Amino acid sequence: MDSYDQVSLSSLIGPDRVHKDYYIDPEIFKLEIDRIFSKSWLLVGHESQVPNPGDYVTLTLLDQPMLMSRHRDGSIHVMFNRCSHRGARVCTKPSGKALRFECPYHGWAFHTNGNHAGVPYPERYADGFIKGGDFDLARPPKQELYRGFVFVAFDSEVCDLDSFLGPMRDHIDNMVDRSPLGELEAPAGMFRYRFAANWKIQLENLNDLYHPMFTHASTTAEDGTQFRRQGAEGDEAGKVKLLEKHSSLNMQWEEQVIAGHAHGHTYMQRFPMDRENQGPVYERYKRSMVDAYGGDAEAKMMVHHHNSIFFPHWSIQYMTQHIRIMNPISVDCTENIIIPLKLKGAPEEMWKSALRSNNNSHSPSGMVMADDMDAWVRCQEGMQANGHDWIVFARSVGEESIDNEGSFEGLGTSEANARHQHKAWLHYMCGTVQGV
Amino acid sequence: MIREIEAFIYREARLLDERRFEEWIELFAPEGYYWVPGAPDQEDPYQSVSIFFDDLPLLKTRIQRIRHPKIHSQEPPTRTCHLVSNIELAKGENIDDQIAVFSAQIMTEFRLDKQRSYSGRVRHLLRLTAEGNFEILWKRVDLINCDGLFETLTIPF
Ligand code: FES
Ligand SMILES: [Fe+2]
Repeated sequence: MDSYDQVSLSSLIGPDRVHKDYYIDPEIFKLEIDRIFSKSWLLVGHESQVPNPGDYVTLTLLDQPMLMSRHRDGSIHVMFNRCSHRGARVCTKPSGKALRFECPYHGWAFHTNGNHAGVPYPERYADGFIKGGDFDLARPPKQELYRGFVFVAFDSEVCDLDSFLGPMRDHIDNMVDRSPLGELEAPAGMFRYRFAANWKIQLENLNDLYHPMFTHASTTAEDGTQFRRQGAEGDEAGKVKLLEKHSSLNMQWEEQVIAGHAHGHTYMQRFPMDRENQGPVYERYKRSMVDAYGGDAEAKMMVHHHNSIFFPHWSIQYMTQHIRIMNPISVDCTENIIIPLKLKGAPEEMWKSALRSNNNSHSPSGMVMADDMDAWVRCQEGMQANGHDWIVFARSVGEESIDNEGSFEGLGTSEANARHQHKAWLHYMCGTVQGV
Repeated sequence: MIREIEAFIYREARLLDERRFEEWIELFAPEGYYWVPGAPDQEDPYQSVSIFFDDLPLLKTRIQRIRHPKIHSQEPPTRTCHLVSNIELAKGENIDDQIAVFSAQIMTEFRLDKQRSYSGRVRHLLRLTAEGNFEILWKRVDLINCDGLFETLTIPF
């Protein structure tokens, strides 16, 4: 029997605080895997990671070894990377190309869509055993593709992807629509991290406008401006003003909208200084967008958000142009992958700038990532301490507007984004989320 | 010549270990860059992600950040020991005043009771200046775990 019932789960979540067990109890973590992650649509990656028939990538999703491939008919297949004979991992390279997958242990073979392709010397099996058996590579019960993003669900009872995403679908569209071809690409591989903090600490951080001026102070020059994250050499695009002179806060931040929707998704408005909308590269980009979309070009080029978090495990960051997939490993360990995104058909200079921006800010040596990760690990370590049992999220409590559909809107350094996630968490854990 | 080149490369490693970062970046030519690819066998820095891909202005930003009084991820600072070996001059790649140098390196770092080690092949392209000094046109470090799982990195290899 579970040691947590609805009452004890609810007692962990206050209106302006959560109990530290939310982050440090291994029992909670086990329940989260069953009740949150297994009941959500999970992002596997982007279809351009396997551009051609026979291309495959291996990955870990939650604790599951997975395989994503493109079959000869062009279709994408996500499978468990486990031989249907005696369980060996079939593919071990991070990525590769295969006519068909052959398990190296006893030679069982599978087509690139996961269908069983046969066993060597089948005559020693009873008649009809192989043909009649279910020996395809197993697949998650649900798989969907939306504008190049590949999703699976580990529970067949999950609501459809459309209702799961809800209004957050626009956030995917906004990223994809900025390409003159209406397509994204992930041609540069990924960064991979493992760090010693609970998955929810990062989730609370990504829309937290209260932390940058402190956590990221070391990324600023004397005038309080952060190093250039986006834009071509020499221009001022993407220079974020974190602090006013003499390290006082830049009050501009308080005007930023932070908001969210049902299922725990949250997002924040783009930074006013996200990118420079002028110069020869921008003009070329604009022309290609006008050619592609005519009068709609302006609207499609608009960047609306800074980052958008799709609860419980992935996000899009628009300024740096990447997706981040956050994989919970244990109560105090999380793995991230960060995949830079290219706007297909946009000027090559824009891609180079985006890639460099990812290197500078979100690579293992990235000057932004290092600050955040250090803070998350500090929290996990600090929470072990006795004395205070509660983690406080009381900033601007009650100031956010909340509607009947489960959406909220708040401003600036409010901690409403985290409070929204806490509520969604409780719904999931008690099995009461809308549509699930 | 090899002796002078060895001395240059050893000193470069020592500057990093002694946290003399400003002197370290002075070793680079104005158009020089420092590159640690994020994938094996990369041909150019735009083919794939990079762990570091820094021109001189970015290296300066990085050093400013390490010196910033509020860099909490360097409290306490990372200590490093760069061990450089297997130095060879790349035959045939040397044009005029440019010298390509191969080496192998292990950097061990220590912070907060955790010790980690990073190994890789290093290539330098050096230029002999009119004054008879070397300067770095580029330095490339190919880590054996370049596409592996990382925690964060602060001190260059
Ligand atoms: S385990 Fe795969 S063929 Fe035997
Ligand atoms: Fe941050």
